[in-house]
Amino acid sequence: MQDYIVEIKDVDKSFPGVQALDKVSFQLRAGEVMALLGENGAGKSTLMKILSGVYSRDSGTVKIFGKEYKDLNPRLAQEIGVAIIHQELNMCSHLTVAENIFLGREKLRGGVLHNRSMNKEAKKILDDLNIDIDPATIVGDLAVSKQQMVEIAKALSTNARILIMDEPTSALTSKEIDDLFVIIRKLKENGRGIVYISHRLEELQYIVDRVTIMRDGKYITTADFNKITMEEIISNMVGREIKEKFPKVTCEQGKKILEVRNLNAGRMVRDVNFALYEGEIVGIAGLMGAGRTETTRAIFGVDEKESGEIYLDGHEVTIHSPADAIKAGIVLAPEDRKKDGLCVKLSVRENIALPNLDILCDKFGVVDKKKEKTMTEKTVDELKIKLPSPEVNAGALSGGNQQKVVVGKWLARQSRVVIFDEPTRGIDVAAKVEIYNLMNALKKQGIGVLFVSSEMPEVMGISDRILVMCDGRITGELNTKEATQDKILTYATKFESKRAEA
Amino acid sequence: MEKKKKQNIVKEILAVRGMGQVVTVTVGLVVLSIVFGILNPTFFSGRNVGNLLRQIAPILIIGIGQSYVLITGNIDLSIGSVVGMSCMISATLMTKGVNPWIAVLITIAVCIGVGIVNGLLVAQCKLPPFIATLGTMTVARGIAQIVNNNYNTDAIGDGAQTFRDLFYYGKTIGLYNTVWLAVILFFVFNFLLSKTRTGRHTYAVGSNLEAAKLSGVNVVATTVKTYIVSAFCACVVGLITCATAGMGTMDAGNMYEMYAVAASVIGGVSTLGGQGLLVGTVIGASIWGVLQNGLQFAGAPVAIRNIVIGIIVVVSVLLDVIIRTGAPKKKV
Repeated sequence: MQDYIVEIKDVDKSFPGVQALDKVSFQLRAGEVMALLGENGAGKSTLMKILSGVYSRDSGTVKIFGKEYKDLNPRLAQEIGVAIIHQELNMCSHLTVAENIFLGREKLRGGVLHNRSMNKEAKKILDDLNIDIDPATIVGDLAVSKQQMVEIAKALSTNARILIMDEPTSALTSKEIDDLFVIIRKLKENGRGIVYISHRLEELQYIVDRVTIMRDGKYITTADFNKITMEEIISNMVGREIKEKFPKVTCEQGKKILEVRNLNAGRMVRDVNFALYEGEIVGIAGLMGAGRTETTRAIFGVDEKESGEIYLDGHEVTIHSPADAIKAGIVLAPEDRKKDGLCVKLSVRENIALPNLDILCDKFGVVDKKKEKTMTEKTVDELKIKLPSPEVNAGALSGGNQQKVVVGKWLARQSRVVIFDEPTRGIDVAAKVEIYNLMNALKKQGIGVLFVSSEMPEVMGISDRILVMCDGRITGELNTKEATQDKILTYATKFESKRAEA
Repeated sequence: MEKKKKQNIVKEILAVRGMGQVVTVTVGLVVLSIVFGILNPTFFSGRNVGNLLRQIAPILIIGIGQSYVLITGNIDLSIGSVVGMSCMISATLMTKGVNPWIAVLITIAVCIGVGIVNGLLVAQCKLPPFIATLGTMTVARGIAQIVNNNYNTDAIGDGAQTFRDLFYYGKTIGLYNTVWLAVILFFVFNFLLSKTRTGRHTYAVGSNLEAAKLSGVNVVATTVKTYIVSAFCACVVGLITCATAGMGTMDAGNMYEMYAVAASVIGGVSTLGGQGLLVGTVIGASIWGVLQNGLQFAGAPVAIRNIVIGIIVVVSVLLDVIIRTGAPKKKV
């Protein structure tokens, strides 16, 4: 048995009013990938911030490479060899790959930047990882996945031997995830220890050696990955058993609510046709960049349509802007909740009221405070949004609760069709189930639910019908009963052959 | 062989971030100059070109300072007032009989002080740069007024003749000294920005403050340095103003902060930070000068010149936005 390279013992950490960590212990060996699991707010990030010196601890011991450190700070942690790959990428997008890798540690010759040697060394680091990126490329021109690899290269260039990856795959396509895993395995072989934080439990099997589970700031258990079942992991994370990961209700398929005909909008939405019926959830699957988000945006009127008709309950509706769509009864909970879904600096109350001001205002345009309060309370109650008060900033809530606000603001008004774009990205298992239940409730009410997801088990578990997109077109439609991952993938990779075009 | 080498150099220059826009603006400058040249043949006369360059110089110098600050994603509104302060302090000292060179050193020291305050307010106290420098702008203008008890100064006198020659009237190898001053400052600050660690950190802070901080960049020091550069440049412009008029005027440098933003932005410096080249600022300041000079020749009153320049600023930023959003780069 190898020695531990990280040993954290009985660490406490409290913030004003919250005990973030309560006697937490954690160990990491060289050459292993340790998954650190827990719901949002379980204390994973706090623990890792203590390991990387960002936070100080109240009590407990931290040993790195066998040596105890009383006061860690980010710089010292970096020197010892601890590096974090952040969830939100921390790159200077205007600078080149090499400039980013050497930022803060520039190589100088006679006081002047020595770009040639930095480019050369960056190239060597990238080559060692089999990453095919020109170090002179500007980072902003790279796809997100490549940026992430640059960030890994940057961490390694500081000779990091302990790598913490916080949700590294949340913005990657499955192909990119595979590439990342190849790199992770390579790092493992080189004897580096990796702490891997992720909400995507299904991907753990490809790389993880052991798991540590936390809940509510407490250490729950550690186990070898092949000796623990997925059900055990989940019940340990949630603290109770989740009976169904994908709750499903069956409804009678009713009349046609929405029909989209010959929709074209740019290169990413080409001749899209489909219909949506009462009592069903339609999932849109596909690879990243297949045009799913673009399709929802075109329907909702965010992006200009080139052609196509939209019928709602049998009548054609004209949608040139989101305002038109909302008025007609079509609403969208967008993919990036912080960027597109919420005004993070406004309160939860204001966020819920925002799209509903037409209902809440009197004829002079003055907001009816009483109605607003009722609407907020009702929404918070119905969706079980956990918050200290509706007056807190939406940005202060956890991911799951933020998502509920995004959805909740639309449910406060009578809509006919609710479109969800990646509604469960980055939120924990329990919150996911609540979102699914909500979608099911809408389905029961006879509201059309259209939902885009990159997670195949989710699409197959929740939808009644699946549309698969590739390259801006709908390449296949499957009844969920007959759907398999293979079938979906076949459709999702059905690119138009060049010959057929000519 | 020779040709290939040349091509490589051209390629290398074009590969520099933001060079594309500089090239576009340069074309604009050439076109503008040709138009004014056709409208008025004396536009290209040796005398006018000399004057034109002297007109451009102060705007270029103050534009260099503003570019530094803009590249970090901040703004410095105080520099117009610092010009006035520099002009009044140096002139007052000289009229009181202080040796001109000592007066210059004292003036530089005070102005740099304003730069340090700006930098600390923004980086250390985390005030929004717009507000922080709006405050110091008012304070600096107040200092300009108070140093000589709310009066413009008398003539700075004969003792300051070499000072006036160096900053305004003298010529070296056929060009006014003011122009040489601008050229020297351009080369020095361009070197600092493109070839040194501080320069690299300046771009990094503007591109992603958090990433820069996490990479071990001293964000506070970097920001303070850019505000010092900005205040120093404004100080030099104040000295030029003083040498030009031969006296201190309290409203010297009025609106210069905006001209500096105009020169930077026309030249492709992004107000959002992270991007910009001082070569662009040279072109931006030149366009500003050519417009002022050319419109003056064409008999346009000051009001019309202001309107035209204002429109040019908005249009050049608009073009930049359209180019950037209209033709998104394909991600590799």
